[in-house]
Amino acid sequence: MSVLARSVGNAFRNKIRTAAVVAVLAVAIGLALSMLVANQAVSAKVQELNASVGTVLTVNPAGGQGFEGGGEPLTAAEAATAAAVSNVDSVVGTKALRLRTETTTSDTTGTAAGAAQPGGGGPGGQTASVTTSLTAAIDAGTLGNRNNAGNTTTGTGTGQVRTFALPITATGIGAEVDTAGKTLDITSGTGLGNYAAATTKALVGTTLAEKNHLKVGSTFTIAAKAFTVAGIFDAGTTFGNNAVYLTLPEAQALAETPGELSSMVVTVNSMENVDAAKTALQAVLGTGKADVTQGQRNLATAVSSLNSVKGISLVAYIAALATAGLIILLIMVMLVRERRREIGVLKAIGARNRTIGLQFVLEALVLVALGSVVGAAIAWFASGGIASALISSNSTTGATAQRGSGGFGGGFGGGFGGQGGPFGGATQLLTSVTASASPGVIAAGIAAVFAVAVVGALVPALLTARIRPIEVLRGE
Amino acid sequence: MIEVKDLVRQFKSGDRTIKPVNGVSFELGKGALASIVGKSGSGKSTLLSLLGALDKPTSGDVVVDGISLAGLPDSKLTEYRRRDIGFVFQQFKLIENLSAVDNVMLPMEFAGVRKSARAQRARDLLEQVQLDPEKHSRRINRLSGGEQQRVAIARALANEPKLILADEPTGNLDEQTGEHIIELLSSLSRNHNTTILVVTHDRSLARKADRRFRLLQGQLSEEVTAGT
Repeated sequence: MSVLARSVGNAFRNKIRTAAVVAVLAVAIGLALSMLVANQAVSAKVQELNASVGTVLTVNPAGGQGFEGGGEPLTAAEAATAAAVSNVDSVVGTKALRLRTETTTSDTTGTAAGAAQPGGGGPGGQTASVTTSLTAAIDAGTLGNRNNAGNTTTGTGTGQVRTFALPITATGIGAEVDTAGKTLDITSGTGLGNYAAATTKALVGTTLAEKNHLKVGSTFTIAAKAFTVAGIFDAGTTFGNNAVYLTLPEAQALAETPGELSSMVVTVNSMENVDAAKTALQAVLGTGKADVTQGQRNLATAVSSLNSVKGISLVAYIAALATAGLIILLIMVMLVRERRREIGVLKAIGARNRTIGLQFVLEALVLVALGSVVGAAIAWFASGGIASALISSNSTTGATAQRGSGGFGGGFGGGFGGQGGPFGGATQLLTSVTASASPGVIAAGIAAVFAVAVVGALVPALLTARIRPIEVLRGE
Repeated sequence: MIEVKDLVRQFKSGDRTIKPVNGVSFELGKGALASIVGKSGSGKSTLLSLLGALDKPTSGDVVVDGISLAGLPDSKLTEYRRRDIGFVFQQFKLIENLSAVDNVMLPMEFAGVRKSARAQRARDLLEQVQLDPEKHSRRINRLSGGEQQRVAIARALANEPKLILADEPTGNLDEQTGEHIIELLSSLSRNHNTTILVVTHDRSLARKADRRFRLLQGQLSEEVTAGT
């Protein structure tokens, strides 16, 4: 019989006590794993928010935004000025174009197909309308026809009838991010490579690609110029997927406005510095020149609350781990005291201190392994509810727990909105936090439990070295 | 082989000093079978503990094959017990949740003997002490006192020690099995050059010994037998 086999046998020597110890350990380990899952879920959410709009500021020409308003266009020089502001991590310039399908260009102005139309898309020369071989993936519908009624000419004296179709948004970008600063989710193909150089490669939204039967490597035209589909992206919305991304210089060339920007996406280094960076940007760019806006004003509050949950879950995780270690320590001290006679006999017949110590450590690990299995099952069922309760206790609104269909834990969605609550105004972004953890996270959690158990078992194992066989044998 | 020099072990009991072993000296050669008799509390078990390096003397020394135990660190004393000593304790001192064969295998495991070899040897030894093969895999707490005593003797023989220290080895055995154990110990001393020191009340066992000692109030005296 090996040391391991003897340790396993000893772990089950008193089955009732073993069951009780495993149950207590399982609760501690289950709680630790649940807290780890919650911590990871909240961390991921905070990271996601910080990585997207959380630290992103948008700079538009003063008085203009997108295809609306007026004012003077932004320039590359102003982008450089913005990049020099402290706490600014990056500045990505964008240039927006409106693409109109070639078959619909026989309008009343008689502009030649393929020519850029500066100023045609909005006041101040902010956007340019150019023709394309693409067909929009969105039907105009009631809303489109109503919104564009003022721009549509029908039944003119010339007898030409304009058939209205929604335009396609084409955006020149200086990096692989959308206009909200979020990294593009390219589902097939590749990015555009060097976004600072003009190129005839383009990224096409999924629905637009589907509508026009485009795949990676397909070609289409913008202003009579052939473009190759380098990649297809998923923006997550129907409107967002009816779009094309080009490199910034290419879009500027198509609009015949080199150096001009429609907007700038400014990423600040941390949530805490967003307000200061916004003020500084507004100051250096001038209030009459640029409008600096923050996507979600209340996001900082929301993230702050999530960070609070993250902190609580981390502390609870450490406390649960320490509890598991303490349970092991106390149990093993009790077992060592109980088995003094046996330890003395083993030493009398030649067992080394390290052999006996190892036997007790292995016995502790057997108990922890059993506790981990049951604890993981507890975490499986309870992590969503525990995380939900944590978030509820940190907001004025409740959170509805729901367990996911697979993987560890589940979702704890909703509950972040509500007037006057700390998450008020950020509801759209914090619709849900999903308590799902990768097997790696769970494995790391269990590894930490085992590490703590080894430390907890070492103390009593070292105590065995102090037992002198003669004291035990004489004591009988 | 074993030389005991003016061995003293004393304890404090309140204001009193007790000396269960008080100036014991003797020598035993290889293959000797010696017995010690004495009243309860005369210091017999304490003397065995000192010889087996379970305890350290207050003064004096035990020299085994030229090596003084007094100068050895704990790790070396453990090695000495593992390699050179076989104990048969008065109350067996077996591990109760292990089987008979597992108990006999323990000293071999500590000595690094391969698992297959130690299992075979353990079964052989249990057969030598006449434990029913059906009971080899039975847990100790399901064996009778006499059967446990036989397992304890088999465990003492596991690593083929140079010196076997036995405290009442036949105390819990019936007459027939006791006789067999005495024969086994005698043959070990004769055929394997194993030195055996037995503490016993069993007169027949004591008579089988080559040398007979009597311990009285911590002092050891050798009984001179007829013909010596």
